[in-house]
Amino acid sequence: MDWGIIAVDALQLACIYGTLAVGISITWSSLGLINLAYGFVFAAGGYGAWLAAEHLSEHGIAVMSAGILTGALFGIVVWALAFLPIHDKPNFTMRGMIATVAISLIGNQTLMWYFGPRAKALPEIFGYAQVEYAGIVLTANTAGTVASSIVLLGVVLWWMKSSRRGLEIRAMMMNPHAASLVGIGVRRTGLYVMALTGALAGLASVLLSQVYYVSPFAGTTPLIKGLAIALCGGLGSIAGALIAAVILAVNEAITAATIGGQYVLITQFGLIILIILIRPRGIAGILDRAREA
Amino acid sequence: MSEDPKQRRWRNPIARWGRNDSPDELPIQEWQDPLQPWRENRAYKVRLFRIGHFRYYWKFRGHGSRLWHRTRWWPTRRRILLLRGGYNPKTLRAEKTISDKRPVYWIMAFALMAIMPFLVPQNLTNTLLSAAAIFAIYAAINLCWMLVIGTAGIYSLATYSVVGAAAYGTAYLSIQFGMPWWSLPFFGTFIGLVFGVLIAIPAVRLDGFYYALLTLGLNELCRVYVLQSRTFGSATGGLYGAETYIPQQWSSEHQLMLGYYASVVVMIMALSLYRLVDGRRLGRILRMAPEKREAFAEACGVNYRRARIQVFLISSTGLGAIGGFYAAHFRGASPSLFGIELVSLGLAMLVIGGMRRAEGVVLGTLIVVLVRDGLVTWGPIRLILIGIIMLAAVLFLRGGLFGIKPQFRAWRDKKKSENRSTRAEKGGEMLPEESTECRDKDQVYFRRFDKMQRDFLKTLVCDEVIEEHRRQPLGQHSEALERLLLYFRRQPQRDKYAIQAIEPFKAYRIVALSGHRGVAPREVEEKTYPSQAAAYHGVFLRRVQDLLET
Repeated sequence: MDWGIIAVDALQLACIYGTLAVGISITWSSLGLINLAYGFVFAAGGYGAWLAAEHLSEHGIAVMSAGILTGALFGIVVWALAFLPIHDKPNFTMRGMIATVAISLIGNQTLMWYFGPRAKALPEIFGYAQVEYAGIVLTANTAGTVASSIVLLGVVLWWMKSSRRGLEIRAMMMNPHAASLVGIGVRRTGLYVMALTGALAGLASVLLSQVYYVSPFAGTTPLIKGLAIALCGGLGSIAGALIAAVILAVNEAITAATIGGQYVLITQFGLIILIILIRPRGIAGILDRAREA
Repeated sequence: MSEDPKQRRWRNPIARWGRNDSPDELPIQEWQDPLQPWRENRAYKVRLFRIGHFRYYWKFRGHGSRLWHRTRWWPTRRRILLLRGGYNPKTLRAEKTISDKRPVYWIMAFALMAIMPFLVPQNLTNTLLSAAAIFAIYAAINLCWMLVIGTAGIYSLATYSVVGAAAYGTAYLSIQFGMPWWSLPFFGTFIGLVFGVLIAIPAVRLDGFYYALLTLGLNELCRVYVLQSRTFGSATGGLYGAETYIPQQWSSEHQLMLGYYASVVVMIMALSLYRLVDGRRLGRILRMAPEKREAFAEACGVNYRRARIQVFLISSTGLGAIGGFYAAHFRGASPSLFGIELVSLGLAMLVIGGMRRAEGVVLGTLIVVLVRDGLVTWGPIRLILIGIIMLAAVLFLRGGLFGIKPQFRAWRDKKKSENRSTRAEKGGEMLPEESTECRDKDQVYFRRFDKMQRDFLKTLVCDEVIEEHRRQPLGQHSEALERLLLYFRRQPQRDKYAIQAIEPFKAYRIVALSGHRGVAPREVEEKTYPSQAAAYHGVFLRRVQDLLET
């Protein structure tokens, strides 16, 4: 068993899943919306990147920024359809979730209808270079994925910590009612959050498409894994999401290397159920302080 | 005074008695109907909607003891129809009313289902009959799901995976060990029970979204497992070849019909299960202890954990049986049972028709299955259509299609009360809140009447009337002036104007009465009037001024 490969795989997966899970976690804690259309935003970001690669340029930065922008755009679409009309109506949490399910149904089928079921391949945006160090082969792809997701996540976290808008978002994560009382616009902040998380999904989509392909339903598995990680880390906690991403990525890499790829989800969910049963609100979640809808 | 021939003139009725202090004729304004403001005020100005304004009930004749006769389900005391007996308050005729018509509609729907295969056009029989069978099976699944998601309020998304697991398990048993078709629902029941225990354990500890997401994950886990496992037909795209209850030697039309009727029977069984659980003790306990109100329920002595586990086991057992039937109906199972798309469609079925209502579930399933399996040629557009319907239902409807009526009523009542509060005019009339607070209801009516009267009197004030009063404050007057003076004289003593003689026949002054015995009137102005008549006219002018100002 090669621990080096496992470590590299785990790192790469942790970066991608962490990006997704942080997005889901921020959405839930600031807007109170479980975004099940995240898979659709993910797939749409992939298609945006593919269109850019087809029609504009195959340059890595162009492809990646196209994916990120498309993701942000569709995040705003989800905001306009599922958050804006009903966020102050009764039973918003459930209705919002079902609205995002509807959006994802519509969106995925539209992608299917427009682009067809055939998967599209993105260009290798990080090139083909390889570095070998102490028996570990580090491809440009892995390095690029890790670097770009860490950079983007770092930028997002720094922005959330230091900027005015980030302060607003954090205030809304702590107490949405009090935030609106001190003059933070719930709708406007929701717009920033959805655009931001959409951009994260777009980035994750471009990164994951280096390994897999872009297809109408490519978002389903990342959505479920992202949700599971966000859940496991405690909805609303960025640190918890990152810890959970690392734990689950390590588990996935070890399972894939030892038992076999088809058992990944089984061990994954066994682990998640175990964690959830021990800590019902996730790793970093505290039972009393969790967002009450 | 101008001598306009069109000008209306007032004739003094006592002119021929030869009094010279009053004029024989005077120019006056056009006559106005004093009842006009009354009619305007009484008119119903609220916009009426043509639909849903009244509740119509058909009145059946009831005579003597027939009026109080009720048919009951033997041996219980439950009634077949909720009838209300009574006497018409106007005609005193004895009459019976069906207060809950839903059983009637259900029976009509079942009758329609029974004759449906003979009504469809010949070229559509294949599509529609197989779609109808799918509809009935999905409706049965959704009814069992509703026990968990609606009655217990736990968002479990693993319903279709319970069905799928039972279908796969029984299909496997049937293929490997040659189990007969009638045993499949029983094995399915067992598998469902095991699955139910598995998903009930986290449900006790987790809540809300955590549980929804976990079950969504379980669904995906099953899908991936089935897709990759060779035992469950990863190569063939499903597990097929199970024993079926449909005789293979029959013609395809008869096979379809048998499948349809069998599925409808399953649906009716699921409906009765829903009714038995939701409408009785367990359902009441669960509805009393929804999420976030567990503490209250526990304080009331309700063991909600036990109730939740019970409902999970009952619903999973039902789902497992349906899974066994599914395997026997379709001769196997396919991985699409575990797809997230089916979960979305299932949610669409519940949301479109309306949660927590059996009829809503059945209608929602009907719509979704008709669009999905009836319009197969449309490709992905039909799923987009379902998504749009679902989105619209979530955004605009509170309780799905069957919630439209109460939602419309609530909206109309809101609009009504808004209109009522804008309609209440200031200046005399009481607002609705004020009038409910007021003890003396005569005050409400008096003030309303007074307002109308003042509105009318305001229209009477004109130059001619003032001129007439100036010429002769006392004595016979025209109708308009007489009405004004009568109104002024009828006012209460408090703040009523009076004249005070400072020096008789030389100086008069206007004062306002205090309204209390022993309290002197107060002075209202410095001005003195040379004569009594001038002072009377001064008082009249002040009163007209006050009238116009209100």
